Parts: sequence; C-alpha cells; structure tokens
Amino acid sequence: MIMVYDIEEKRVSKILKIGREYLNWIQNSVFEGEITASKFNKMKAKIKDKIIEEKDSVLFFKFKNNKVFKKEVMGKDKNPISDDQSYMV
Amino acid sequence: MGRRLYIFKSGRLSRKNNTLFIENKNDNTKRYIPVENVSEIHIFGEVDFNKDALEFLSQNEILLHLYNKYEYYTGSFYPREHLRNGEILLKQAEHYQQPMKRLEIARKFVEGSIKNMITVIKYYNNRGKELSSTLKRLSDFLEEIKSVKNVDSLMGVEGNSRDAYYGAFDTIINDENFPFNVRSRRPPSNELNAMISFGNSIMYSTILSEIYKTHLDPSIGYLHTSNFRRFSLNLDVSEIFKPILVDRTIFSMLNKKTIKKSDFSSHLNGIYMNENGKMRFIEALEKQLSTTVQHPKLKRKVSYKYMIRLELYKLEKHFLGDEEYEPYVSRW
Repeated sequence: MIMVYDIEEKRVSKILKIGREYLNWIQNSVFEGEITASKFNKMKAKIKDKIIEEKDSVLFFKFKNNKVFKKEVMGKDKNPISDDQSYMV
Repeated sequence: MGRRLYIFKSGRLSRKNNTLFIENKNDNTKRYIPVENVSEIHIFGEVDFNKDALEFLSQNEILLHLYNKYEYYTGSFYPREHLRNGEILLKQAEHYQQPMKRLEIARKFVEGSIKNMITVIKYYNNRGKELSSTLKRLSDFLEEIKSVKNVDSLMGVEGNSRDAYYGAFDTIINDENFPFNVRSRRPPSNELNAMISFGNSIMYSTILSEIYKTHLDPSIGYLHTSNFRRFSLNLDVSEIFKPILVDRTIFSMLNKKTIKKSDFSSHLNGIYMNENGKMRFIEALEKQLSTTVQHPKLKRKVSYKYMIRLELYKLEKHFLGDEEYEPYVSRW
C-alpha cells in the first residue's frame, strides 16, 4: 500500500508518527508497506483522530498484491526497502 | 505477516514515538522501523537497548534473539506468554513423562528429519550425482528407528544418519574451494561448517518465534531432553526443517556462487562468516522461507515459514488427542 498525505504544517508530524508505526517511510509525506486489514483500520482510526477533515487529506493506494506494481526511483533513494520478508540494518 | 528485523550494525535500538528506532553508531544514520510490521528481531551487532525498549517489545509481542560475534545463538527475550494454555501445557508434560508417549513423538521427529534428508539427497542423485549408497544407508536408518526402544538410542541413530547425510555433501557441492570433509562445531573448521552452524542457529530461533505464536511451551522437548536448557522443543522441530531450509540454502548459494571465500574470516582457529557473508546468507534463507509449496492437506500453497507454524499446530492436535502427529516431508 502507498500512503500519501497533505496536512497542515502544525499537524503533519502527528500523521508522520502514526505512519511510522505501521508503514515504511520512503520520502516526505509518502509511506509504503504491506498491512493487514485490521491494522489498516486501526491506523485509519488513529489518523482520523488527528486530522481536521475540512483542511487535511490522506490518500491510500491499495494493491491486490505486490506483483501488480513496480517502483522506479530517480535520484536519491531516501530509504531503500527490500521487498523480501525482512528488514536488514 | 510480520517481517523479521536483522540488525548487523552497531548502535542503539529504542522506542521512539511509539515505534522502533535504530541509530547506527558508525555512520550516524537513523531509521524508524514500523513496530506493527515486525514479528521478531535478530541482533548480530553491538546493540544497546534499555528496559523501556524491552517493555515495548513485550507489549507488541516481539521476540528478540541475540547472537555473539562468532554467530552462535546466545539467548532470547521471550516476552510474557500471551497464548499460554493450561490444558495444552498439561498434555505436553504428560507426553513427556510417559516414556512410550515421549518416544513416539521423538521418533516422528527423527523420521521427518531422515525423510527430508532423503528428499534432498534424492534430488541430487537424480541430477547425476552418485549418491545411491547414501540413500541406502539413510533408508536403513529409517528402518532402524522403528525398533528403537528408548530416546537415547534414537538420538544415536539420528546422529549416525546425519553423519551419513553429511558424508554426501562433498559429492553434492563438488567445489574445491569449499570442501566439507567432516562436520565440526565450536569452532567450525571451514566455510561450509560455518554456514551450517550459522544456518542452524537462525533455524532454532526462527522456530522458537513460531512456537511463541502457538499455545505450546518451548521448554518441553521430546527428542532433546527437557533438562535445564531453557528451550528444547524448537531444537526438536528444527530437525525436520534443517535439511530442506538450511542445507538447500547452502547448496543453492554455492551453485549460484552468491557466496565467496571473502565472505568468511578466521578467529580462534575457526572459520566464521563475516558481516557481509551473514547478510548474504540471511537474504538467501529468507527467500527460501518465503518460497511457497503445495500443502498436502490444505490444497493450497503455503510458505515454508507458515509450514513451520502448521507443524506446531499438528503437535497441539497430537497432544490434545485429536489427530496423530505426522511430520512434514518435502516432496522434492
């Protein structure tokens, strides 16, 4: 899943923090990662609490599986994420 | 789901903003890891963490496994057990205390282990490697375990079959840069032994992590005596999966030449994998763990990692008397 957001400055860090709990940060205002339906619901509930719906927007792009999209990077890959089932640091 | 997090660099692991945060001491990079997406952590580097971090892992039911710099498993942080079940615990203990019941389970583990060794050897035998004598010896051992009277002699047969199996490694690999000769531990005498030791260590802790997700108690083992060792059920179950997961990973890495002499270094008369070697190995093992195979009963494909969990559920069923345990045997 890809999550992108456009949030007023004073609330942006709150959304960033929620995003980091569930998904991989890839660049400013953008996250990617796999998530289960129940965790997705939990994350949405947390986000809903923090945003002001008239001003902020958060978009989610959902894919059936990770084979139907391909990421291409130009310039610096700010946070390379491997696509296997592990994190190595 | 839930990914495994491997930490090779030195630094600090902490809780920050309600998620995991890793600071690398050497290059000063900082990185957040989504806590909701992590199921276990394996630490190889010199990593600091505090009580707050451990409490956070416990809250999120994440296991932490530690390895020393010579790649040996040194211990785990096993959070408060969330799925403890008195019924299963009693049954598990009962199956340990009654010698016949214990022998029956232990025998299944050895049976699964030998059958999977045979599967691996057969694969190479069909590809033109002359391994028929190894196959013969392994099937003899498979016969022998049927008449074994106690767990100690079962352990003996297990050891002999493993020796016969390891005896085929040089024929399978056939690479003068990576001779096997004989299995040696503490310290491993050459690259291949280092890979086996490392792979087995990861296997033990991976299975321990899966046990955590079931109702089973990892301290009661059947083949490996439950004595003062903290965990032994994971050692039992590993026997079944070592040939198909660890050994196949090693063979495929050597065949594809994804591991080189330079991925190893020597310390204290032994040969060990260095950081780069370990990372290569984990990558390959992860790939093998996520490989999916047809499940004989479920009629669908499942990953090897999930197959391990299913194996544990089968054990639960056995303890509860629902269904007799039959070990997983790979088809190819």
